[in-house]
Amino acid sequence: MKLADLLQLALSRLSTGKLRTALTMLGVIIGVASVVALVSVAQGATKGISDRLQNLGTNLVTVSPGFTRTGATRGAIGSATTLTLDDSNALTSLSGVAAVAPQLTTNKLVVAGSQNETARIVGTTPGYLSVFAYQMWAGSFINEAAIDNKLRVAVIGATTADNLSLTEASVGTTINIGGLPFVLIGILQPKGGTGNSDDQIVVPFSTVRELFVGSNSVSSIGLSAKSQEDIAAVTSEITATLEQRHNITTGVDDFNITSQAQLLGTVSSVSDVLTILLAGIASISLLVGGIGIMNIMLVSVRERTREIGIRKAIGARGRDILSQFLVEALALSLAGGFIGILVGVVASLAIGTYAGWGFVFNPGTVVVAVGFSLLVGIIFGVWPASQAARLDPVVALRYE
Amino acid sequence: MKTPSRQPIIKLEEVSRVYDTGKIQVPALIDVNLDVAEGEFLAIVGPSGSGKSTMMNILGCLDRPTAGLYVLDGQPVDELDDDGLAYVRSRSIGFVFQSYNLLPRTSALDNVATPLMYQGVARKERERRARAALERLGLGDRVNHEPSELSGGQQQRVGIARALVTEPALILADEPTGNLDSHSGAEVLDLFRDLHAIGRTIVLITHDTEVATAADRAVHIRDGRLSEAVPA
Repeated sequence: MKLADLLQLALSRLSTGKLRTALTMLGVIIGVASVVALVSVAQGATKGISDRLQNLGTNLVTVSPGFTRTGATRGAIGSATTLTLDDSNALTSLSGVAAVAPQLTTNKLVVAGSQNETARIVGTTPGYLSVFAYQMWAGSFINEAAIDNKLRVAVIGATTADNLSLTEASVGTTINIGGLPFVLIGILQPKGGTGNSDDQIVVPFSTVRELFVGSNSVSSIGLSAKSQEDIAAVTSEITATLEQRHNITTGVDDFNITSQAQLLGTVSSVSDVLTILLAGIASISLLVGGIGIMNIMLVSVRERTREIGIRKAIGARGRDILSQFLVEALALSLAGGFIGILVGVVASLAIGTYAGWGFVFNPGTVVVAVGFSLLVGIIFGVWPASQAARLDPVVALRYE
Repeated sequence: MKTPSRQPIIKLEEVSRVYDTGKIQVPALIDVNLDVAEGEFLAIVGPSGSGKSTMMNILGCLDRPTAGLYVLDGQPVDELDDDGLAYVRSRSIGFVFQSYNLLPRTSALDNVATPLMYQGVARKERERRARAALERLGLGDRVNHEPSELSGGQQQRVGIARALVTEPALILADEPTGNLDSHSGAEVLDLFRDLHAIGRTIVLITHDTEVATAADRAVHIRDGRLSEAVPA
């Protein structure tokens, strides 16, 4: 028999019992819709988390000094002063590195008008803005000229600005840092999140070194990789460069590299488990939907025993009957699958909008869902169809 | 009488059909010999329980004999597998049933066209041929009616159109008038006479000797054995 004939038979059969057809499909619709929606929810949640991680800095890699050792006593991480500005400059030329920001931090008393507080002072370079994903709220950030000329200019974090009652109008005024006058040239937009990333004052690296710290070392070096995929390569390049510069051959490094890759890796493995878990739960409803199809097809074979007998008498072979019933089951499960995808997409759109990560749509899920409903149709359609195909025409024709 | 020199459409030699119910063996047909020539109109007459239905199943290739030889239209069919029998039914036999056995919720046109679908004829062609068959039987204005919208006589004519549409070597009618009033029954028998007149081979199975008079020749079946009878 031709496929077109089989399809026509199936469609005309399914359209004669619309309520039954709809109820049979409902199981598959719910199954496929929940697979699509739950996978989308899992992926949306993952996207939400990694977006927040991106907020901490775009593809951030941090290099910090190692620890000091006095006799048998191991100092804290970062206690050594082995990283220098020259190290930082050497890292600038690595491929895969988008921007580098060496940091030299200290704490100083800051006075603005009648307000004062002890704030964290970060001496850095213009790369800081992009490495740590800050945006300017008012004024401008430190530029190369400020570094070269060791200018006394300052950019303050949003929390610090609040604490010192500084507003947009204060840009251009003078504040005192550690007893020395600095011109306030900008205010950063708040980033939120944990830590005190909004409570700090950023000044040129060279200025801090000259006025406050006076050593050649840096507290840490922040780098941003060009893309997330580059992080691993960048990390090993940094290791090689610094080992060479520090003459380390033993493999025991005097610096530490941390990156978001580790954090992202953890998040994505958690979300993979989440996705599999949710998809697994949703597949159970798909299974139940499949059994619903099998049930209806078995009833249908029984009800239509006489029809099967007639068809066999007028020339249908077993395989014609088999394909007729199989195509019917497939039409049910595929139509249910397509409706289920629509419902699932709408549901994930609604959930995504409500939860705030927007609409996450994965075409792969649709392919899998269609494949799965096809599989359900075949698995649960074959048995009833083969029952129909094996009927003895003599018995079937006498069936009342 | 027809001349016996013509090629037989049906040739049964020592055909038996025994039903094995597990404990006992029930013979339904015993050593049946029968020749039906091309163009012949034969009635097989017998009371219920005589083996009539078994005869119909064997002749219609719905069932296989347990012993003996059956040649239909030059083709030995007693040892064909299920697909082989389906092929023979599709190409060589047109059934007419007592209870019409039309496909429910299916138009007269689609009912008549269905045997052609199983032969693999294209949709346009089979609709053309089905329409022609229905028109020949005076149902040209009923092609889109479903069985439930037709009278018994009309349904049986749709059934006959379905049997004719494949141009089979043999038309096998099982009590075709059994569910009809005498007027419609007479019309159906007239139809068979007409088909016989244009050279169709017809085997009519009935319990009614009155109906059997429509045929040229009648054989009687009783307790699974066949006996020639004087033509009516």
